[in-house]
Amino acid sequence: MSQWLQQVIDRGQAIDDWLSPVREQALESLRQTNWPNRRVEAWKYTSLVPLEQLTLSSDSTKTSTDIADIEGLNSLDLIFVDGELQSDITAMTLPEGLHISSLRDAADEQKTTAKALFSQIKPQRHLFGLVNDVLAEDGVIIDIDADSHIERPVRITNLSTQGQESHHRVLVRLGNRSSVTVIEQGQGEQASLSTGFAEYDIGEHAQLEHYRMAMHTHKAIHIGGCHFSLQEQARLNSTLVGYGSQLSRVDVDIIHNGEHAKAKFNAIYLLGESEHFDLHSTIEHAVPNGTTEENARGIVGDKAKAVFNGRIHIHRDAQKTLAELNNRNLLLSRRGQINTKPELEIYADDVQCAHGATVAEIEEEALYYLRSRGISRSQALVMLNFGFIQELVNQMPNQALAHWLQPKLQARFAEMEVK
Amino acid sequence: MLKIQNLHASVEQKHILKGLNLDIKPGEVHAIMGPNGAGKSTLGYILSGREGYEVSEGSVDFQGEDLLEMEIEDRARKGLFLAFQYPVEIPGVSNMEFMKESVNAMREQRGEEPLSAAEFLKKAKEACKQVQLPLDFLKRGVNEGFSGGEKKRNELMQMILLEPTLCILDESDSGLDIDALQVVANGVNSQRDGKRSFIVITHYQRLLDYIEPDHVHILANGKVVKSGDASLAKEVEKEGYAFLGQDNAEEAGA
Ligand SMILES: Nc1ncnc2c1ncn2[C@@H]1O[C@H](COP(=O)(O)OP(=O)(O)OP(=O)(O)O)[C@@H](O)[C@H]1O
Ligand SMILES: [Mg+2]
Repeated sequence: MSQWLQQVIDRGQAIDDWLSPVREQALESLRQTNWPNRRVEAWKYTSLVPLEQLTLSSDSTKTSTDIADIEGLNSLDLIFVDGELQSDITAMTLPEGLHISSLRDAADEQKTTAKALFSQIKPQRHLFGLVNDVLAEDGVIIDIDADSHIERPVRITNLSTQGQESHHRVLVRLGNRSSVTVIEQGQGEQASLSTGFAEYDIGEHAQLEHYRMAMHTHKAIHIGGCHFSLQEQARLNSTLVGYGSQLSRVDVDIIHNGEHAKAKFNAIYLLGESEHFDLHSTIEHAVPNGTTEENARGIVGDKAKAVFNGRIHIHRDAQKTLAELNNRNLLLSRRGQINTKPELEIYADDVQCAHGATVAEIEEEALYYLRSRGISRSQALVMLNFGFIQELVNQMPNQALAHWLQPKLQARFAEMEVK
Repeated sequence: MLKIQNLHASVEQKHILKGLNLDIKPGEVHAIMGPNGAGKSTLGYILSGREGYEVSEGSVDFQGEDLLEMEIEDRARKGLFLAFQYPVEIPGVSNMEFMKESVNAMREQRGEEPLSAAEFLKKAKEACKQVQLPLDFLKRGVNEGFSGGEKKRNELMQMILLEPTLCILDESDSGLDIDALQVVANGVNSQRDGKRSFIVITHYQRLLDYIEPDHVHILANGKVVKSGDASLAKEVEKEGYAFLGQDNAEEAGA
């Protein structure tokens, strides 16, 4: 038992709230868990040493709780600072059919919703998911009535500040035939640790547009996940953006529980300096006639390291499944590292499944040609190499968000190269 | 404008330029001819700053500055332009975007505001017309699937748009039909303003009928072995490179 895990268990045992009965299960699992080393497949390329060595000393000057406004987004904002909800939900006018409450102050009705979701969609194998089960005292519960179409996106932001450890939870239930857009954004750069796990139950014929922006950089350690359960005819369109920090890891599970559901998942990661980003995605086709399309694309510069593990699991009964996973990478520097591992497990015989991963390097010839026309090296690199990232940005259904993100990614890319 | 002195250069341990001298004054047109493998394209690449060439001796002065010390893009911004013998295909970057970026890089260098998309389009359309390329070539990927002749015209279009002070044309006339030859010649002649200088690398006298050079140089085995006026090109056209003697011809051919 690692010291770190032991203190999590100790702290978890001390928490006494309405979720305690559910937490107890996670506590029990944690007591049985061995702290992962590099021989454990899920953590093969990501070392937890930075986490174990993290010493958190709080800074008395609190960072501002301002989050950047996104022009034209018109979102309902739920702002967390270090895992504590700052926004006053009771003061918000919510559209009809949308119910939001904090985990801490949930009313009985919402507690029932929450209990049906909490740790019910997220698989037990995620160690830090269990840590979050045990320690997440705050979070949000979002419940959408059947047949309700929520126009305004719900944006959940968690800011991690100097020296803080935080654990928050997002639980979302989409009633049958409903639709909503949820944006989860995490950021922070100073020494901190945050875990953030989200569980989505997408009802029959319901549509979820989802964004996860893991924008942690420098010393901000983040480990989190998004876990989706799709009921019959459900639609999921999700985009993930990963920056890299000392240690940043996201696990995604897309689980087809109802037939004829369609999932589209795009992931973008851009890493420079000695940043680390690890994305593990698992697509579970448990029933027939499901469709999944996954595109993960990344650029890695300097001494940065990207880890991508994309697993597709097609169960015996899941005939007529259509699943595609594609991972494209561009490596800008010889010192950078990309570990990409596609994993296919197919137990049904009548399926269409495609799977591929590539790592490309800079095309020197094209770069020279552009520069010989006066275009700077960094601009030329953007022109040559940003296109495949741009494509995914263009595919984001929310235009306002895409417009906001695009220059940020481009600037990040240009900076990666200059160094 | 450009002064090359005793230039020695090699690539992949292969010694290619072996003491090359060239002096080009503003407004002059110099033709460079010479056998295959003599080092003509290599000279163009080294002047433009392509990586992988090692200059072991000599110097290149461009408008009073040490050219060899400059970054590739800075050479271009200071007015050096190389029309490639084999232009690079870049699928995924539109010709339009490419040329707009380069024109605006030049403008930035001169302290001018970047052109808007509409302003640039107007200029590009004119240039397209001048080199007789259909407008849809602006939308296609840079040189992507262009025929040999279309690539050459596209190079010329860039030259017209970028308004360089020193243009190096590496076999811009090879693979061209007679009409296209005229287009290239017109392209060069229209840019000849008494200040702008040209280095025209060619195998054929034909182009020089349209572009009257001030000087003709024969480059063989890595150096200029003979210089003269326009009549030298005619001589070469008639007699070939036999006058180079066995040594040079063999080495050049090897
Ligand atoms: N990367 C390289 N590695 C080895 N040899 C090279 C390389 N690049 C050029 N050379 C050699 O250098 C010599 C000069 O090449 P260059 O292309 O400059 O000739 P050129 O005079 O332009 O010929 P042409 O008239 O055929 O275009 C040739 O023998 C060529 O094979
Ligand atoms: Mg050549």
